[in-house]
Amino acid sequence: MPASFALKEGASLPTLSKKVVQENVNQYARASGDFNPIHIDADYARQTPLGGTVAHGMLILAYLSQMMTDAFGRDWLSGGKLNIRFRAPARPGDVITASGSVRRIEKGDGYQMVDCEVLCRNQNDEPVITGDARVKVRSHEADG
Amino acid sequence: MAENRKIAYQDLKAGQEFPAAAFQVDSATASDYLKAVEEENVIYQNTGLVPPMAVAALALKALINAISMPPGTIHVSQEFEFMAPVSTQDTLTSHATVSRIQARGKLHLINIDISVLDQKKQPVLAGKTGFILPVS
Repeated sequence: MPASFALKEGASLPTLSKKVVQENVNQYARASGDFNPIHIDADYARQTPLGGTVAHGMLILAYLSQMMTDAFGRDWLSGGKLNIRFRAPARPGDVITASGSVRRIEKGDGYQMVDCEVLCRNQNDEPVITGDARVKVRSHEADG
Repeated sequence: MAENRKIAYQDLKAGQEFPAAAFQVDSATASDYLKAVEEENVIYQNTGLVPPMAVAALALKALINAISMPPGTIHVSQEFEFMAPVSTQDTLTSHATVSRIQARGKLHLINIDISVLDQKKQPVLAGKTGFILPVS
């Protein structure tokens, strides 16, 4: 857990901002195998109601998961939960900021269950992803 | 799950199970994924660990390859639970089941449950995916 993040109710998670670039969208398509032309074919995408390419929702969701990994380390990999809705597309050129806050902490036997509100928004402050994240923080981490 | 003939979305039924799909997030794929999402956390550097969202992405790939989705399909919701760390050495198997189909006017809302097991048959990831599809 980063030193800048003190785990307590109401605490803000360490934010993360990234600019969406077409090159990364193309690379994500190759890595994930999702070659839907709406993500990678500008000519095709221009003729759709979206008017241009958009990033894979899962790429933007990865930013939220990164934020949770930055905050909770390996506990996120083995005890993380996400429940989100995709609210708006993210386009190349957009700057996406992942943020969140700790809503509630429940203490268990040797762990804490941390319930967070999470959000990705664009440079116009419009929500792109909203939802909840929960992570089971083992006591060795929580004590650190 | 990714093989041969795709299932037309109109033919999907609640309770329908897709054939299991085996996959691996090898080091080259993991590296490509990390670059695409600009993930630089030391947790993934020289540890062989794979971001859980990379596992999720490849499990969804198997699903997307299995269904013929119409243009205009929107991925609207997603749940994931990460149960165990995954490494580049693990061989994974994804399972998917249609959990719900709802007609809303000219749209269909389809929910699909996903689970991913490792080579020891231990669960590493579970999820629920929601798509909205235009009815042709």
